[in-house]
Amino acid sequence: MSNVIEEAGWKFHWRLTESAGIMVYLADYKGRRVLWEGSLPYITVDHQRETLDPKDDPGEIHGPWWVPLGTRTIQGPVRVQSFRGGVELSATFVAGPYQYTQLWRFHDDGRLSPWVTIYGPGVHDQHTYHPHFRFDFDLDGARDDAFERFEEGRWQRVDSEGWFPYSGEADEAGNVWRQVDFGSGASINIRPHQWDDAEVFAIRYHDGEWAPYSPRAGAGTQPFPAAYVGAEALDGEDVTLWYVAHVHFDQSFPYTAGPWIRIEGLAS
Amino acid sequence: MKKKPAKAAAKAKAKPPAKLAPVAKSAKKPPARRSPDVAKADPALFDPLTPGEVADALRTLTEDRRVTAMAKVGRYRVICAEPLVVKPPHWMAGHRLARIVAYDYAADRAVDATVDLDAGVVAHLDVNTSQPMLSRDEEMLAIEIAMTDSRVSEKLHMGEAPQAMLHYWGRVPGDLSFARRSAAVVFGRADGHASIVAVVDLLDQAVTQVVPAELW
Repeated sequence: MSNVIEEAGWKFHWRLTESAGIMVYLADYKGRRVLWEGSLPYITVDHQRETLDPKDDPGEIHGPWWVPLGTRTIQGPVRVQSFRGGVELSATFVAGPYQYTQLWRFHDDGRLSPWVTIYGPGVHDQHTYHPHFRFDFDLDGARDDAFERFEEGRWQRVDSEGWFPYSGEADEAGNVWRQVDFGSGASINIRPHQWDDAEVFAIRYHDGEWAPYSPRAGAGTQPFPAAYVGAEALDGEDVTLWYVAHVHFDQSFPYTAGPWIRIEGLAS
Repeated sequence: MKKKPAKAAAKAKAKPPAKLAPVAKSAKKPPARRSPDVAKADPALFDPLTPGEVADALRTLTEDRRVTAMAKVGRYRVICAEPLVVKPPHWMAGHRLARIVAYDYAADRAVDATVDLDAGVVAHLDVNTSQPMLSRDEEMLAIEIAMTDSRVSEKLHMGEAPQAMLHYWGRVPGDLSFARRSAAVVFGRADGHASIVAVVDLLDQAVTQVVPAELW
């Protein structure tokens, strides 16, 4: 199967990684570069105890765990399918009681849906999934970008790296964060799933600076991507975004986490 | 989906301290610095490494003087070997690069190396305390250790077997797995029901915890 797909106004490449699921790279929309690389580096899982009395609740006594989504956990092939108005990639990963279907959906109107459907029983009901998506958007070039979030009723520029949780505010289309390219005026708009309890880490790009093989930065330290957050300026630079969801298991599973992404302002 | 109190608690645990950047109130546009070269990147650089490229990268790494101790003692595991692509204007842009991550058990450190396959050199080397994912060898070792531990075997029922091997770390410093390389082996039935979780210390190659799955 060829790993380059041209359909629905998109041209993109993909490959199956060792640990970060299906990676999409060098993605263009209407002939313009949008994405250098995007992947699902990890889904960590942590556990809570089921107790009715807060006095008896010991808190989370165990740490998190995770299993790589990649060549050793994939079930069957990566599927490429057309749908009305677009094309999608999907793959299913299984590790015992944890099961995931990763999706990349490309729409002809400029929408992009990097999602993951989570199912499987886990080891017991009281557990929470933390899927981490990583996006290195290069909208019409790597630099000359800015990161903005919707706050106090309008879009506001963010000067330096940081952690930006969804506060409940969004623009009329539901977008909460966006990456803007100065040269073209085009933007990548990110709308979280209502129940994702999402947050975005905005980090200045450095070659090789990502942790493809672990969220664990070291004992007693922040995990990745929080460990990357410093005080570097973002304005006018190359920006990397991590979208992290927090999804508690309950009987409404399966649950599909991940953002809606829409490219706007790219003239062909 | 219903929200539960546990979700909020879990979220609070997962979040780092707030590091919100100051928000500019005026969207002042800086001067443009165009870098269109990323649009000309060679897609072939992202292709998976061939077996020969992996072997080449590992040979180059283990011959590097900076990791002589690791290679000589031989107590290391190669975790992963994948292509790495850097953007222009970096000097390695356009080079075929391999990223090799290994775990050095003798030094209890992770080795993260970038090998320039075009030049045949280790272009970048970082030795750190991060905990990369488990290698396949380590997963198999964890199962073997757990299966031969009497505290595990005496709790297993007919038909129960290892379901999953997970990279695990403890939350509190008093937990051995807080700072030591560890795996969790989940045992259960083929229908997905989990019965026991065994935590394996990969440094000492010993089971440190056996916990009924419902109490995990």
